[in-house]
Amino acid sequence: MSKQLDLLQGTLDMLILKATSLGPLHGYGILLRIGQISKDRLEIQQGSLYPALYRLEHQGWITSGWGESENKRRAKYYRLTAAGKRRLQAETEKWNRMTDVIAGILETRPEEV
Amino acid sequence: MRLLNRVRSWWRGIFQRSLVQNEMEAELQFHVEARTEELVQSGVPRAEALRRARLEFGGMEGAKEECLEARGASCLDNLMQDLRYGARTMMRAPGFTTMAVLALALGIGANTAIFSVVNAVLLRPLPYDQPDKLVQLWHVPPQAAFPGIAEFPVSPANFLDWRSQTQSFEGMSAYGRGSYTLTGNGEPETFRMIAVTDGMFSILHARPLLGRGFVSGEDEPGHEQEVVLSYGVWRRRFAGNPDIVGKNITLNARAFTVIGVMGPDFEFPISTDPSLQAQMWKPLAWSDQDRAVRDNHNYAVVARLKPGVAVKQAQNELDGISNRLAQEYPSENRGWGAIAVPLRDDLVGDVRPALLILLGAVVLVLLIACANVANLVLVKALTRRKEQAVRVALGATRRRLLQQALAETLLLAFAGGALGLVFAHYGVILIVKFLAQRLPRSSEISLDGWVLAFTAGISLLAGFAAGLAPAFRAAKTDVYEALKQGLGRATSDSGGSRTRDLLVVSEVALSLMLLIGAGLLIRSLWMLHQVNPGFEAAQVVTMEVAVPIGKFTEPAQQIGYFNRVLDRIRTLPGVQAAGLIDSLPLTDNGSMQPIAVEGRPPVAMADMPEVDVRLISPGYLGAMHLPLLEGRGVDDSDVAGRPGAVLISESMAKLFWPNEGAIGKRLTLYFFPDQPRVVVGIVGDVKLYAVNETQRKATLYFPMAQFTAPRGEAFQSFGMNLAVRTGAAPVNMASTVGLAIHEVDPGIPVQNVHTMDEMISESLSPQRFTMLLLGAFAGLALLLAVVGIYSVTSYSVSRRTNEMGIRVALGASRTDVLMLVIRHGMMLALIGSVIGIAGALLLSRVMRSQLFGVQPTDPATFVAGACGLMIVVLAASYIPARRAMRVDPMVALRYE
Repeated sequence: MSKQLDLLQGTLDMLILKATSLGPLHGYGILLRIGQISKDRLEIQQGSLYPALYRLEHQGWITSGWGESENKRRAKYYRLTAAGKRRLQAETEKWNRMTDVIAGILETRPEEV
Repeated sequence: MRLLNRVRSWWRGIFQRSLVQNEMEAELQFHVEARTEELVQSGVPRAEALRRARLEFGGMEGAKEECLEARGASCLDNLMQDLRYGARTMMRAPGFTTMAVLALALGIGANTAIFSVVNAVLLRPLPYDQPDKLVQLWHVPPQAAFPGIAEFPVSPANFLDWRSQTQSFEGMSAYGRGSYTLTGNGEPETFRMIAVTDGMFSILHARPLLGRGFVSGEDEPGHEQEVVLSYGVWRRRFAGNPDIVGKNITLNARAFTVIGVMGPDFEFPISTDPSLQAQMWKPLAWSDQDRAVRDNHNYAVVARLKPGVAVKQAQNELDGISNRLAQEYPSENRGWGAIAVPLRDDLVGDVRPALLILLGAVVLVLLIACANVANLVLVKALTRRKEQAVRVALGATRRRLLQQALAETLLLAFAGGALGLVFAHYGVILIVKFLAQRLPRSSEISLDGWVLAFTAGISLLAGFAAGLAPAFRAAKTDVYEALKQGLGRATSDSGGSRTRDLLVVSEVALSLMLLIGAGLLIRSLWMLHQVNPGFEAAQVVTMEVAVPIGKFTEPAQQIGYFNRVLDRIRTLPGVQAAGLIDSLPLTDNGSMQPIAVEGRPPVAMADMPEVDVRLISPGYLGAMHLPLLEGRGVDDSDVAGRPGAVLISESMAKLFWPNEGAIGKRLTLYFFPDQPRVVVGIVGDVKLYAVNETQRKATLYFPMAQFTAPRGEAFQSFGMNLAVRTGAAPVNMASTVGLAIHEVDPGIPVQNVHTMDEMISESLSPQRFTMLLLGAFAGLALLLAVVGIYSVTSYSVSRRTNEMGIRVALGASRTDVLMLVIRHGMMLALIGSVIGIAGALLLSRVMRSQLFGVQPTDPATFVAGACGLMIVVLAASYIPARRAMRVDPMVALRYE
């Protein structure tokens, strides 16, 4: 098993938005989906997932409703809203810009300064 | 959209709490089960799988809490929780709660009551459209002839010039007062009539309920037989008959056409005494002769500023016009200025300082109450230190502790506010009852929405003020120390005791300020009661014999009537003396007139000296026991056709003839120039307008029987005031005298019956009331302070019981222990007194205008106040100190 990375501060929200953008999911499903996409390289504290979900719902990025799970159990499903979609887009752009800049800085060699 | 979302989520968080919690429970449950299921499928035994799933998830309760917090509802949620908790603690300590709520209720109630007065009198807009555009215009008389008089009525010619030459005003109207007797419709009744030049109603933007107001041109002679009724008169005397408009009614024996009825809320002019409200309005119709009068100042003027014009601009314009008029008519107008006063200031200028002082006083009372409650809460909080410490140890944040301590005092404050409203309700009733005749718009005083908002606001502030110190103490809880010390019987809480000492010092300082303020007012009132008004008030009853305008057409008829009245009254048993005067002392009425002294160079009217002139009948001096210092009084020989005789006051004699005898000197009254008059007697000075007037008023009395029509005017009959000195109780004589007057002429009403003692007492009623209120507040403050000091001292004694025990065991005498406690209390009182005296110096400077015969720095009052307070503090710390003294060392030590 490869080593897991701790989640960078503030990125959980983005990951949740991304996960729900691929279709409605319940909380545990989101966890699985992120794990699946990241090939289990990210460690997400399960306890911190739900406060994040509630916060995103409170802000209107996602919305929730009760539905039936794969194994016929009642589960709460989260869906990305239109506002959430825009938010994800904006966050993604910001993230990309940021990683470019940071990567640029970190790759700088002494003779380039 | 997003806002809506949040509100919905808040709403659910607060009101559908259990629903949200159930959902959350189910959701988390699902999560754990799903994970367990997965683990089971990967071959882990079920029990182990469940354990691992739970472990992976982490703190379930913490997550729930965080979820709720993420919804944004936790803040309110905590508050609710804190309030519930606070309410429970309050219930558990009924003694503490009662004390705290009562203290706050007294403070908040006093504030609410005074604020409701301030609100109605000073803050609420006057009941007119755009009332801040209304101004009252007055003359400013030359100060040499009218020392100390800042505002003076206006003469017709000057008014007309102001009206035609100013650009600042939308309109300007002059008015005068009179009384008219209604006959031919039930009992004859006299009404207060305001005669107004045209435009009055349009200046006020007042629309009649029925009919119309006066239109332009109706203040010409010939139109003056028209009248507008007040709502009250219309309902009471005319049964609210809507057909009254256009009908004729008989006033002063002449027919007047009712042209309109005003609405129930209309009042003009606004009277300080609601029982003197205007009841009817008629046109003020000046003849050409009247319009030319520039030297006789008898009218009030109201005006409305044009939009965008400030009072200052209007004042500049008036100044310019006054200068021009002074140059154009130097003999009448030299030295006469004009002033525009906003209508509200004109109305409440006199009462504003007293009200603001009272408002300041109640704020101090509330501060003391807050300090008291803060003290109580602090003391209580110390006994809860362990609980606090446990909470901190269990992870409560300091913010949360602070918030909880505040929630408790806020709860107390709002309970206090609610009870305070009840106190205020009765307080307001009391204030209105006492002040109704002296406070403009007192009928409007009520606990309205503004007052309720104010009460809620100060309750909130009081809650914060009382809660901050305890809250910060609570937040500073040192877990380790507190837990180590067990149940808080420790002696080492120096921080807490310093806060308590600070609160005691401020209580002492604040209540000393109030005590000294009240002391100064009490001294003032006492000085006022010592003032000799210049006459003997006991056993004198007075009443107005209100001869209507137009009743007599010749002075001789009026003089004859009054002589018959006097003759009739003097025959009544029990009457020792009786006399008449046009304006009684200690009333607002009275005429000032220019005089020319014979043998001095003649000057223009505007440069003549002015004296107060009173018209009297023989017997007046005797009835009032006004001392005759030289010469003779007015007697039956001073009648028309005989040489003019006058009496002058002692101060007038000194002013005009400082180095020679005044008797026999001759002078001419400017308005009654028909003959020179000889000074035949000198009488004592009298307080003419108010007991607290400091300037001696140069006064001239001339016989009623030598009255003629004033210069340039037609004779108009007028009422006089009768003063009767009786052997029996004066009140009992009043009705007998009234009946006797009716026998002479039943058509002449008798009104305003008062004993002279009442008049004096009445003239002091504002001072007395301010004094009573401030005294009551000072007493309240003292009481609160004593309770505060007592409880703090008791508490610290009880905490130091074992220390005392050790001291005694080690050989300290009981007196040493007693002194130990008392010394601390007195130290605080001393520091508080020094600060309080400094504060009182500031306060008393503001109070200067309310004081009489007492310096704002009166050392006696300051020393007495401070000493009184010291004694009270001594008593408050002596009782607990005695308890400390009686400590049995064995018992005290065993406590440990």
